[in-house]
Amino acid sequence: MLKEDSPNAPVDPALPFTDGTGQRAVLRIQSNPMTAAVCVGGLLVPGLGHLLLQRWKRGGLLLASVVLMFVMGLQMEGALASPPNSSELLSFKTLNAFANVGVGLPYLIAMGEGYGEGVATSPTADYGWLFLVVAGLLNYLVVLDAFDIARGRKP
Amino acid sequence: MHSHFAALITFALLVSVVFAIITKSTPREQVQYGVFVFLAFVAAALVIGWIMYPFPF
Repeated sequence: MLKEDSPNAPVDPALPFTDGTGQRAVLRIQSNPMTAAVCVGGLLVPGLGHLLLQRWKRGGLLLASVVLMFVMGLQMEGALASPPNSSELLSFKTLNAFANVGVGLPYLIAMGEGYGEGVATSPTADYGWLFLVVAGLLNYLVVLDAFDIARGRKP
Repeated sequence: MHSHFAALITFALLVSVVFAIITKSTPREQVQYGVFVFLAFVAAALVIGWIMYPFPF
């Protein structure tokens, strides 16, 4: 629920209001350094942005969901894309790597430990690849959600 | 995990949890929306699977 979607939201975002379901909501705008920390932290560790904003349950569930999806993708022998070199920038591999990098530190750890090689002949390799890609893309959405909360657009 | 259906259910469950949390504010709304998205994922996969069933390729 964005603030603009709620007809009860006050002009001053610091004032409490009731949302569409009658729940009391308060929009707390964070400072710019805190917003930057939320975004960077969320990009490094899924859900960390919400945890920094003291959204404990949301952050925990998001952390568990995204990391579990990433680990299951590795377990299903999906392949991680390494960052493209200069001759590969305009290729599908760039999009693949962008999606994979979105999950943050788990991607770096998996690449460092050699878990992202994948097994092309495995019957679950395609599913694993999909899990790895979607885990990264979901984390980008999670970071955008944390940004909205930090800027007072969402309770 | 070597069952495609189990992979589908797991995928739908994890994605619906994330979608519900980031799009809705209250726990009640999140649960309702999460269940809806989960069922929509599973139903869409089954329907599309049956539509593709007679295809020879």
